[in-house]
Amino acid sequence: MPYDSFMTNLLNNNYHNDYHNKNNIHFSTTTTCLPILQIMLSLSAAIDGRSKTTKGVYMQRRDFLKFSTLGLAGSVTGLGTFLSWSPRANAATIDQTFYITDGMRTQADGIDVWFQAYSSTSTGLDYPAQSMIVQEGDTVNITIHNTLGTTHSFVIDGLVDSGDIPGGTSTTVSFLAGSAGSYLFYDRVNLPYNRLTGLHGGLAIMPKNSSNEIYAGSPTFKQQLFWLYNDIDPAWHDAIRQGRTPTSKFKPRYFHINGISARPPGSTNYTDPTKNAFYDPRSQISGKIGDRTLLRVLNAGMCVHSMHWHGNHLEWITRNGQPRAQIWKKDVIALENNMGKVDVIYPFEPPPDAWPPVTSGQQYVMHLHDEMTQTAGGGLYQFGAATLIKFK
Amino acid sequence: MGGACYVYPDSPATPDRVTPDVTFERTIYMNGSVRMDDGRNITVWGFTDSGGGMGGMGGMGGPFPSPAIRVREGQIVHTVLNNPGMMWLHTIHHHGIEPSTMNDGVGHTSFDVQGTYTYQWRAAHAGTYFYHCHTNTVLHAEMGMYGALIVDPPEGPGRVFSGGPSYDVEAIWACDEFDSRWHNLPWDAATCGGDAGLNDLNPDYFIITGVDGNRSALTAPGVAVTMNRGQTLLVRYINAGYYPQRIRFGGLTGQVVSSDGRPLPAPVTVSEINSVSAERYDVIFNPDSSGVYTVEIEYLDWIDGSVLGMARTRITVN
Ligand SMILES: [Cu+2]
Ligand SMILES: [Cu+2]
Repeated sequence: MPYDSFMTNLLNNNYHNDYHNKNNIHFSTTTTCLPILQIMLSLSAAIDGRSKTTKGVYMQRRDFLKFSTLGLAGSVTGLGTFLSWSPRANAATIDQTFYITDGMRTQADGIDVWFQAYSSTSTGLDYPAQSMIVQEGDTVNITIHNTLGTTHSFVIDGLVDSGDIPGGTSTTVSFLAGSAGSYLFYDRVNLPYNRLTGLHGGLAIMPKNSSNEIYAGSPTFKQQLFWLYNDIDPAWHDAIRQGRTPTSKFKPRYFHINGISARPPGSTNYTDPTKNAFYDPRSQISGKIGDRTLLRVLNAGMCVHSMHWHGNHLEWITRNGQPRAQIWKKDVIALENNMGKVDVIYPFEPPPDAWPPVTSGQQYVMHLHDEMTQTAGGGLYQFGAATLIKFK
Repeated sequence: MGGACYVYPDSPATPDRVTPDVTFERTIYMNGSVRMDDGRNITVWGFTDSGGGMGGMGGMGGPFPSPAIRVREGQIVHTVLNNPGMMWLHTIHHHGIEPSTMNDGVGHTSFDVQGTYTYQWRAAHAGTYFYHCHTNTVLHAEMGMYGALIVDPPEGPGRVFSGGPSYDVEAIWACDEFDSRWHNLPWDAATCGGDAGLNDLNPDYFIITGVDGNRSALTAPGVAVTMNRGQTLLVRYINAGYYPQRIRFGGLTGQVVSSDGRPLPAPVTVSEINSVSAERYDVIFNPDSSGVYTVEIEYLDWIDGSVLGMARTRITVN
């Protein structure tokens, strides 16, 4: 049975119950246990350069602050940051090209896991895809070159379905950008396997002529990010890479936000925004008081999650594409599995319980509270699905 | 403490320290035990109230869950964490309370407490919260290192929040699941890597506020509720586990008036609530007929939504 809709009891007057159930995946719950460790490389050699801290050589807080400054510097160069958007009075035609590619990604414990992705270049591996932002009424043309030998597709529920794109072929799909909101594009072939192994990305449709609303008349924001969550069971990725249908029970060992995990102070690549979700500019929330930040949260994975933010309560605006009947202020918000989605706003108000009051120079975590997700490979706490919130 | 990785021990002075309105003293214990209905004793860790001069190393274990922290809106609070010796590291994170970074109790954005640290914060919003350790959190919270944190309105207990509903009877249900296999791990398990199975929680016990929900919680004092018709009951429901839960109120209908320490714009009528880890819901009941209502909490698999187990308690209306 798919995970039941959350809070239907509380909010069903505004929730279209069949929307999500339709998109839930019925998957095998066979308990045949495929030996996951079989596919592991040498674990001992694998832990990438962690600092083996023993008594006396613990990293001190002062060192941490030094690291964090470096990390911040790294995050503001090179990769761009919040989704940028300038509203237009008129509809436009947007052309985008994706290459379906595959490759290996090294996880926090050194294990290489296979992914496939809608990449921006024929040689890249953009897992998840670079997010897209358009405006209601725009015509969107997407050309997909399938560089792999396997059949794939490009689907946005309610907007477009490419049908099969056989290996080695290309296709172009066109669609009219419909209702403003946050959408997952994904590969429906071999559902959910191709989606899980990386073929997904986010599309934002802005309301016509608006730069600060989720939908016309919604609460407003100043900056916006896409957060795509995924749960990784390397045994499944290995099977799918080999063209097999996974037969083991799904047991995720890595947990990603926008394709990577967090890494704590003292770890190798701590300051690398391409490897550490704490400093990934696609994920990190940074701002001054009043920099209300919209998070468009999509779950490409198979696990229900509990998202928890420190520093501020969030305004919970939409759930599975529907504006909520009441906007609640929450420090925990449920994210349903198999393409569940929410739009939430981190308001950047002064942290209410600080004494004396503070307005800047603070950093907090966003992490999943189903704490299994804060690990990699069954351990390595803090190498999971988390990012940082910075009060500049 | 040998092989711990990615921990940040420190015991700085509290910045901008002021005289608090109220102080709570907490000391670590790591040799607690909970007796389950099947006769097994499961190891738990937690915080003792060391405010009465009974602090120290907690050789006798301690209460599970840890003693509640209860304050009034507007109060400046000191939570003193005593973690003497070099044996292990812990913190206190006041979940849902939003203080400065230094007082947030998250190891990797500030420090893990080795020695003593005084967390300073001011309770801004009445409501239901909880506090828990944030060091190797995946393990430490599972081991039971949490307690209720209630912020009453300035006028004190009896009203959920200023201008909100009043209540005569109060229940705090912190619903948690144990995977007993995890309960023999060391405090720093797998922090340097290796596979301790911390990605895979297979719960075998289901608990309401420290009591086995199999049988004991049906009647346990402090968990099961007895009230009279005409009285108002406030249930402070805390998902203190990791998996999603569904709580059914045994046929009673209640009003959710606040969640996560914030009033809802308007109350919402419920007979059951689905929650995810660390959510809190404050539900008001005014039962108009006497009877025994069996409350069921189902613990749901995070992948397929199947029911992994159930805990039960009762509301008896006389
Ligand atoms: Cu701890
Ligand atoms: Cu918490």
